[in-house]
Amino acid sequence: MTDTFYALVVMLTVAVTTFLIRAFPFIVFGKGNPPSIVLYIGKVISPAAIAMLIVYCFNNVNPLAAPHGIPELIATAVTVALQLWKRNPLISILVGTVIYMLLVQNVFM
Amino acid sequence: MITKKVFKAAFISSLPVLMGYSVMGMGAGILLAAKTDLNFLWAMFAAFITESAAIQYMQPDLINNVRTIPQIVIITILLNLRYAMYGLSLIERFRRLKLPRRLYMILTLSDETYALQIENKCPEGENSDDYCLAISALDHFYWIFGCTVGAILGDLIKFNTMGIEFAMTALFIVILTDQCLEKANRIPSIIGAGATIFCRIAFGTDYMLIIAIALILTSFILLRPRFDTTYKHTLAMKGGAK
Repeated sequence: MTDTFYALVVMLTVAVTTFLIRAFPFIVFGKGNPPSIVLYIGKVISPAAIAMLIVYCFNNVNPLAAPHGIPELIATAVTVALQLWKRNPLISILVGTVIYMLLVQNVFM
Repeated sequence: MITKKVFKAAFISSLPVLMGYSVMGMGAGILLAAKTDLNFLWAMFAAFITESAAIQYMQPDLINNVRTIPQIVIITILLNLRYAMYGLSLIERFRRLKLPRRLYMILTLSDETYALQIENKCPEGENSDDYCLAISALDHFYWIFGCTVGAILGDLIKFNTMGIEFAMTALFIVILTDQCLEKANRIPSIIGAGATIFCRIAFGTDYMLIIAIALILTSFILLRPRFDTTYKHTLAMKGGAK
């Protein structure tokens, strides 16, 4: 059972936080120019944060026990290869996910 | 007032977003329906208050694994920090808008909407502020539409959803792949991944994100003389002014 009150708290927290992130430059730099270190961190933090979240998504993978993260490895490789080849996010995400589902449901049970 | 001509121009520019958001939104809706027992009204509500694919894909995970509010805030900031950069180039443009409209434009400032606003294909002689509002509203509508349809489909069609959560991981993988096509993003992404793997092994899953982000920020500040192309320039300017 999903706790609906908790779900509401999550949704509102996410919404308010996202709104404040988007409003941040208007609130802080509405009157002047941002310092150069802010612009620099803003540029480099995005790829680092996404890489960090990918690692976080693989939290439940244990390389030392079967299936050693093999389904994750295959699905990731397929997603990256498709994205490099077709440059179409929808195809890459869809095919990567379907392959992962097939692997964990049928091959690495 | 948005004129017919402005609306038509905005609609044509936003067609790629209609396609993208319908499918992406459907993914988010299906994920919510598959992983929780919330109905489509919840998906609609969540899409209305947050127009952001990345966090919407993460939301079922956040709902199922009880976390504290600060943890939810940290994850949202990490995923969506890039939005804070978009506003920097829109400060001038938004300053002249009335408050309710400015707030709505900020609420709906997604990656795609930002791109279309920067492109700004407003027909000549028409009000570009109205054009941008039309873009924001159309994109917002597409997102709500996609998420709602996805949640309805996810409830109607019952199938074995085991492993469907990989959609979220795949979304991040796609974003990172695109970013790494630009050389300047490669070392930052390696630092991000490396620091997080280290924290995962050293500190476990509870504190890994917060320690990793501190580690990443510290490395970027220390490495600034090497990474920041404008830094040397700024130093040279300061030196010259002395």
